[in-house]
Amino acid sequence: MADRDLTRRAMIKLAGAAPAGALAAGIASAPSSAAETAAQGARTSARPAREPLRALTAAEADLLDVIAERLIPSDASGPGATEAMAVRYIDRALAGALAEQREAYRVGLAALERYARQTRGKPFLQLSPTDQESLLIDVESGTATGANVGFAGSSAAFFALVRGHVWQGTFGDPVYGGNANFVGWDLVGYPGVRTVVTPAEQKLLSPPTRTRRSAYDNPMFNKAIVDEKPAGSDRDAD
Amino acid sequence: MFPLLALAIAGSALATLGAAQPAQPAPAALAISSPTLIEGQPVPRQHTADGLNVSPGLMWKGAPAAAKSFAVVCEDPDVGTQPFVHWVLYNVPATATGVPENLPIDPAVAMPSSIAGAIHGLSGFRRPIYRGPAPPPGKVHHYHFVVYALDVAGLPSGLSRAQLTDAMQGHVVGQGELVATYERQPPPR
Repeated sequence: MADRDLTRRAMIKLAGAAPAGALAAGIASAPSSAAETAAQGARTSARPAREPLRALTAAEADLLDVIAERLIPSDASGPGATEAMAVRYIDRALAGALAEQREAYRVGLAALERYARQTRGKPFLQLSPTDQESLLIDVESGTATGANVGFAGSSAAFFALVRGHVWQGTFGDPVYGGNANFVGWDLVGYPGVRTVVTPAEQKLLSPPTRTRRSAYDNPMFNKAIVDEKPAGSDRDAD
Repeated sequence: MFPLLALAIAGSALATLGAAQPAQPAPAALAISSPTLIEGQPVPRQHTADGLNVSPGLMWKGAPAAAKSFAVVCEDPDVGTQPFVHWVLYNVPATATGVPENLPIDPAVAMPSSIAGAIHGLSGFRRPIYRGPAPPPGKVHHYHFVVYALDVAGLPSGLSRAQLTDAMQGHVVGQGELVATYERQPPPR
């Protein structure tokens, strides 16, 4: 079990470090025994409480929760995308900066669900973790496209979209809604933004001190403030 | 002139030596069968991307006594200039007379005891697992499930089809195949 966890984690790190287009090692491996399936269920029930959704429907978020968990599973070597609340990041992003990709999620998740029912005879959420991963491999490789279940273009493009966002939601700055409790940064050993690096740290004599702070907790980093006033409303100040 | 002549003589001597080498005997013919695949018939959906996509079981007969391991390959020659590789499995022990259905997709999960020690090589999907037919629509594709009996064992892990072919060079003592078909329908208009 421990060896397998290490294998999974190594695969995730490899995939996380790879270019977004790399297909290899995109999906961690699934537990297959009944006991592990039960453990999977227990982990699912321990998922952090969901906040009110801003863009996704509840059914879409349910699907994404499990997909994210399959991509970066929580296991003996540490928490994963579930604990990082990667789907909260995706939901907030689709309601904001990534709003133009909202439709791609609607179409892609509906196609994935149809693909599960058509090829495996069950809703995606009712499949065993092994069958979920087998299905996701077919989506990732693009072979699900020809099943005529409604993917827009290649299923591989949808998979790459979701994988990229799960990575962002797990390893991005917590200010965007993911990487809760810095679990993503802890996973890869990223110490966070540092404005001072000591001589000892420069010589790599000791592991860097983890700041456990968002970049935007630092007064020298400021996000651009978006003026929400209607365009032109401040013309009288000209 | 003299050095060139000497080279020519040496070359001819080498050629004679080569001719004197015993020729590699033709591989024994293996008879391949399957609980689910039928020669010339469509691959059942459970072995395709339109179904569960689990690997099929195969059985073989006629392996020579010299066989120390087996390798299994599935490829589709009906695409492009190079066959597309769907399955690479090798280091199947000499005691095996087949491979069971639904091999694990997790490399960390042990193979069934009857083929203990067998490992997957990289397929055309760049993963060390079986992935079945998923052809572009428009024509029937042929899937060649080829079994090789080898007089070597313990090949290194992570081989692609091409690397396996190189590693098997001169070591194939038995060979057989089962060819099944598959066709996908174009999307509805």
